[in-house]
Amino acid sequence: MKKSLFLSHPRLALGLLLLPLGATLPSCVSVKAYQKVYLNDEDMKLASKTVETPETSFESYREGAGGANGGKVGGGCGCN
Amino acid sequence: MKKIFLSFLGLAALATPVLAQTGTTQNPNRIDGYGAPVSPSVPVNRASDETTIDIIGGYYQQTGTHGAVEGGRGTQQLTDVPPTIIVNVPLDTVSRLTVNVGADFYSSASTDRIDFALSTPSARDVRAHGDFGYSREQKAKGTIWGVGTGVSKEYDYLSFNVAGSFAKTSQNGNRQLSLAGQVFFDRVTLIEPLELRANYTAGSTTRRGDYGTDTRQTYNLTASYSQVLTKRLQAAISTELVSQNGLLSTPFHRVYFRDNPDQNTIPTLSENFIARFPTAARIENLPRTRFKYPVSLRLNYYASDLVQIRGFYRFYNDNFGIQAHTFEVELPVKVTPFFVAYPFYRYHTQTAATYFAPFAQHSIADTYYTSDYDLAALSANKLGLGLRYSPVYGIGRFHVPGKNAQGLPRVMRFKSLDLRYAHYQQTGASSYRVSDRADLVANIISFDLGFAL
Repeated sequence: MKKSLFLSHPRLALGLLLLPLGATLPSCVSVKAYQKVYLNDEDMKLASKTVETPETSFESYREGAGGANGGKVGGGCGCN
Repeated sequence: MKKIFLSFLGLAALATPVLAQTGTTQNPNRIDGYGAPVSPSVPVNRASDETTIDIIGGYYQQTGTHGAVEGGRGTQQLTDVPPTIIVNVPLDTVSRLTVNVGADFYSSASTDRIDFALSTPSARDVRAHGDFGYSREQKAKGTIWGVGTGVSKEYDYLSFNVAGSFAKTSQNGNRQLSLAGQVFFDRVTLIEPLELRANYTAGSTTRRGDYGTDTRQTYNLTASYSQVLTKRLQAAISTELVSQNGLLSTPFHRVYFRDNPDQNTIPTLSENFIARFPTAARIENLPRTRFKYPVSLRLNYYASDLVQIRGFYRFYNDNFGIQAHTFEVELPVKVTPFFVAYPFYRYHTQTAATYFAPFAQHSIADTYYTSDYDLAALSANKLGLGLRYSPVYGIGRFHVPGKNAQGLPRVMRFKSLDLRYAHYQQTGASSYRVSDRADLVANIISFDLGFAL
């Protein structure tokens, strides 16, 4: 079966996953609580929105891959 | 009225230091019967000492031509209405209780084909679920621990789960490490395709069987690390290790073979069913152990007061042979300070499970076999738009029974409205014949009504 470049090279994919984090970590600065007006914005929350719940749910059923996003990874019912 | 507004502003100001941290939320969406929200979080636009209520609902509809019940061909038509209510109650200044209950009211043309009489009870059903979580914060140490439990019930399923979590936030609130563990105990009623049940009479169209049961256990371990990178940028990396034991196949999924010598004994069917295949099906069979290793990265950037960028990437691997990549980007645009429109796009690609083959392409010599297209090689695109309206003073307010600590009538505030539409489309891998490629199309509209008390 023909695989995409990412699928045939999982290490490359993992490297690309960590690259943005590695590139930005050196630029970490100590941000004070009073400087977090942008970070406290509703849209800056490091999680999916509550309203996304039904979508995350159906994606976990319709795709063989899931997890690490707050959605279902196994267990429980709802497999139709 | 003015006093209430001023009081609310005061509460919001008091809440600010609490919110001044990285903002990672463990399992924020694990709220519908497959895991308690072990670390309840307060929505950003509501104060930490308020009781918050979220009413979530929507409508989901899908179509496709590769239903697993009929062996990888046949309708995948399904609709679902999934109302859920989440209540987050502060018990005191450091502990919170979260309750969420809901149901899925669905109709499935696919499960209606477990037997050969349409519009039977299998055509529509209800899945009910309830979860309860408790969390306690030690503000001096920057820690939060939580426990939870939940249950869900469907016509062929009963599931219990317990969960525990721990989170540690750095003193300056710029870093957070969170850990969570969950265990699920599932019991499955073995409803098999009609013609494959013991004592089936050839030609019969419907018959209730004496169903057996089987079990499944799932163990999850989640670890997330979030970091403030600059005043406008923050990231979180997460992994979720999953181990499953027990029945992992679905007992009413048929699999047809290219070389099965047994004749098919099902009756002559109407045009509402796929054409009868000459040789017999078997019940899907998958290994009883599965390990999953997803790793994800979230990166949020406050580009300007007008636009933010929310990015997500996940790499997934498991011992069924599936590798997958998922990219997601969302661009919230603040049309006004209180009205946000956020277009989003998601791309997903996965390889097939080792045990998957399209309709009638397995050999009876195979030990494990499935024609469930959830496990096929495919890519999927999702595109949509969300709208959120959340004015500072809320959308409206109304009295509810009871009085508050000051002896005044209790007032419920309608704080926010979130509405979202998504179109989702799967495309099968080019390595399959055109007629064997995934073709599922889905549309979903969902809403979240946010209240505070």
